[in-house]
Amino acid sequence: MKNLTLNKKLAFIAIGLGFIGLFLGNPYKGNLVSMNTTELGMIVESKVDHVSVQDLADWIIQSKMDFKLIDLRTEQEYNEYHIPNSDNITLTALEKTSIPKTEKIVLYSEGGIHSAQAWMLLKAKGYKGVYILFGGLEDWKDQILFPKLSETATPEQIAKFEKTKEVSKFFGGTPSVGGTADVKTETPKMEMPKLDNQSGNKAPDGAPKKKKEGC
Amino acid sequence: MMAPFFKYGMFGDEVSLIVAFIIGIGFGFFLERAGFGSARKLAAQFYFTDMTVLKVMFTAIVTAMLGVYYLSIIGWMDLSMVYLTPTNIMPQVVGGLLLGFGFVIGGYCPGTSCVSAATGRTDGIVYLLGVVFGIFGFGEVFPLVSGFYNSTLMGQVTLPQFFNLPYGVVVFLVVVMAVSAFVAAEWGEKNMAKKAEAKK
Repeated sequence: MKNLTLNKKLAFIAIGLGFIGLFLGNPYKGNLVSMNTTELGMIVESKVDHVSVQDLADWIIQSKMDFKLIDLRTEQEYNEYHIPNSDNITLTALEKTSIPKTEKIVLYSEGGIHSAQAWMLLKAKGYKGVYILFGGLEDWKDQILFPKLSETATPEQIAKFEKTKEVSKFFGGTPSVGGTADVKTETPKMEMPKLDNQSGNKAPDGAPKKKKEGC
Repeated sequence: MMAPFFKYGMFGDEVSLIVAFIIGIGFGFFLERAGFGSARKLAAQFYFTDMTVLKVMFTAIVTAMLGVYYLSIIGWMDLSMVYLTPTNIMPQVVGGLLLGFGFVIGGYCPGTSCVSAATGRTDGIVYLLGVVFGIFGFGEVFPLVSGFYNSTLMGQVTLPQFFNLPYGVVVFLVVVMAVSAFVAAEWGEKNMAKKAEAKK
C-alpha cells in the first residue's frame, strides 16, 4: 500500500465506495413519483372521490368502519372537536404516514382545500381509495350537528328533517326549527358537542337501522 | 438537519447569495490551482498532450456523485429536493457542440474564462466580453429560436431512469468509467510526450 501514489489510493477508495454502492439501493427513497394526470383529471371531474357528510354520518351510525377517517387540521383544533372515529394526521405528517396503500381513506379539513391537497398527495404516493369529505367540517356542522328546518318547509322537507334530527342528536348536535334554511345565516355561537358525550360509532338503542349504502 | 439546506428553509434568499458567493470563490480558486486559468493548458486537452481537464472534471463528478449518493443513503440529504435541469436533447446537443467549438477556438469555457480574467489575462478578459456579448445576442434572437430551444423535451431524466438500472449500479459504472479514463489519460499523455520527443 505504501508504494501507491496518492492518486492511486484515491482511485481505489472511489472504486471501493462505488462497489459498496452496488448493494445500497435507491437514494431517492420513493419521494419522486410519476402521476397519470389523465386518470386524475377524470376522477376529479366525475366527483367519484367525494363523500357527503350525510353518507359519512350514516356509515358511522351503522358502524361501517371499513375506512380510515383522517382529520387534517392542527392538533389543537382536533382536540377542540373532531368527527368521531377520526385520526389526527396533519399534511406534513401524512407525507410520512405508514397507512397501507390499499386502505380506504376519507379526508376532511375545515373547508375542502387541505383535503383536496392531501388527496393529491396520497394519490401521488399510490393510494388507491382516497376520498374527500365534501364541504369538510363546515358542512358537517351545518348539516349534521346544527341542521335547521325552515319555517316555510314543505311536508316532505319536514318528514326528511325527522331523520336529520335523529342523526344530529346521535352526534350530540342541536337541530333547530325556524329561520330560513336556504340562506346561510351566520350561526350564533353554537356549543360544539363535548367529545366524551358523543356516541361514537356505537349504535344507540332504537336508532333506525338503515340499509347499507355503498360509497 | 437535512440537505439541501436552502430548500429545507435553513436560511433565506440573502444568506443563500452569500453562500453562493463563498462557493463561487472556492470554485474559482481551485480551477486556478488546477491550472485552468491558462488557455494553453485547457486547449492542450484537445491535442491529448495534457489531460488535466478530463482528470479534474471527472474527479469532481465522481467525488460529488459518491458524496451525494452516500449522504442520501445515510439520510443526511434528500436527493429528491435537488433541482435537475430538464433535458431537451437536441438543443443541448447543439449547445454542447457550440460550447466545444468555442472551447477549442478560444481556449476557455465560461467558468475558466472568469478565472482567467480574474488573474488579469488579456485573452481571458476578451473571452469574457465575448461571453457577455453572446448572452445579450442570444437574448435578442431568442424569439426566433425559442421553438427549437424548447423542443425534444425529455423531462428531468437521470441515468438510472434512462437505462432502467438500479442507482447503485450506475454509481459503480461511473466510478469504473472515470478510473478507466484516468488510466487511459495517463497512458495517452506518456505516448504523446514520446511522440513529441521523437519529433524533436
